Amino acid sequence: MMSTFMGFGRSDGSVGIRNHVLIMAVDECCDGIARAIADSIDNGIVVTNYNTCMYGGNEEMINTMIHTGNNPNVAGVLVLAMGCGSIDPEIVAAPIRVSGRPAFSLVCMKQQGTRATINQGKELAQQLQQAANAAPRVETPISELIIGVKCGGSDTSSGIASNPSVGRAVDKLVDMGATAIAGELIELVGCETILRQRAVSVEVADKLERLIHQEEARWHVDGAEVETMSIGNSVGGLTTLEEKSFGALSKTGTRPIQGVLQINHLVHEKPTTPGFYLSEATHLCGSAGMHFAALGAHLILWTTGGAGFNNPIVPVIRVSGNQYLLNEDIDIDASGIMRAEEGVESVAERIVAKVGSVAQGQQTNIEEVGYSYCSLYQKDQRLETVLRFKPGC
Amino acid sequence: MKKAIQLDPSDNVATLLVDAVKGDEIEIISTNNQVIDVVTCLQAITFGNKVALTDIADQQLITKASYPVGVAIMTIPRGELAHVQNVRSQRLDIPDNIIEEIIKQMRIEQA
Repeated sequence: MMSTFMGFGRSDGSVGIRNHVLIMAVDECCDGIARAIADSIDNGIVVTNYNTCMYGGNEEMINTMIHTGNNPNVAGVLVLAMGCGSIDPEIVAAPIRVSGRPAFSLVCMKQQGTRATINQGKELAQQLQQAANAAPRVETPISELIIGVKCGGSDTSSGIASNPSVGRAVDKLVDMGATAIAGELIELVGCETILRQRAVSVEVADKLERLIHQEEARWHVDGAEVETMSIGNSVGGLTTLEEKSFGALSKTGTRPIQGVLQINHLVHEKPTTPGFYLSEATHLCGSAGMHFAALGAHLILWTTGGAGFNNPIVPVIRVSGNQYLLNEDIDIDASGIMRAEEGVESVAERIVAKVGSVAQGQQTNIEEVGYSYCSLYQKDQRLETVLRFKPGC
Repeated sequence: MKKAIQLDPSDNVATLLVDAVKGDEIEIISTNNQVIDVVTCLQAITFGNKVALTDIADQQLITKASYPVGVAIMTIPRGELAHVQNVRSQRLDIPDNIIEEIIKQMRIEQA
């Protein structure tokens, strides 16, 4: 594979593989305004807060919006507010400007209404597009890439074909000097002992065990059980919860865990050295895409039985080993492993090559065709309080 | 020949890539597609389920993809299905009535 890509240089020193302009709506009431503005440019993407328009209780989500604006694939941002809620768009725009990116804000109530806001917004979006077009092209080593790793729509083939192949590809990419980040801590319940052995320090081991325990407490509330393992899973061949967890774990490869990146209203931790990381990126697919964007990922490797989410900011490479569900949406066909025709190593090499070509600018099979909603998950601060979880503890 | 995949050389089970019936000879392959063993199925084992590669003793760990995925609650001879009827979680057991339902739905045979 090619060892460099021609990326888009950003003022903060990062280099993107895509060159997007974000139109962010801090309240759902200006979502339509945001979409009208985004439609007027080529590379516009809408991110809308569909939670309440209050700031109190939404701080973690606002933090995710800010860090999404600072993703390497983002060239500039326009932040919109209706004006009757309590989220000042500058809360989002100002920290993005600190990164050197152009970031404007508009308040509909101060702009003489919806049409005037759209017209003004279109002018600003044009400026952002011009700034994006002027981004310097920078030859960048593949080792600078940050890659999110996620599974979804899993079935029997996932644990045998797509997850081990992606895990092997993650090892290869990490060995090349790249950074990979997995999340879905709820899927790692039962894997704590193995994960501790992979942690680079006792501090990292303790932190990952604590964060997995907290995530388990959030989702397994007595009397309000959330399904973890179905009869269908067992009929399909999964005997125990840990077997299911270890199947999911195999997509993370085997390299040392450098850290566990926390996401809350105070911090949005980023990788500090190359290597493999765990994170608090959620297991919920659409929101995981946005968490990976906010963690600074350039692209996502996604394992599946079939189909799945497609984030507009961070290109998603889909890997499936289920020959009955394969269609043109799947970028990497791993079904040869299930037919005993191809080995994991060979599929992993194809995945690494695909990462290189997508970084070079080649589109994934459904890039710009149909995107998932840019969902913004946050932990419910009321539940955090009831469970007595405090950020950083 | 029908195949099952051993995900790590240390594993004592392999995952069936097709449905097998009692008496079927199964080629055990590595993740890089090398045939490493041939095992005779002692009972029907469906696609995605696990066949024991060695005689597994009561209380011995079941290892898949190098990870301990459960513990044997009786002796599991080479060639038998390793599943909910003879393996338990070390973390969170499936309730007994659900195990009965799984055994019924899968029509797990006595080996």
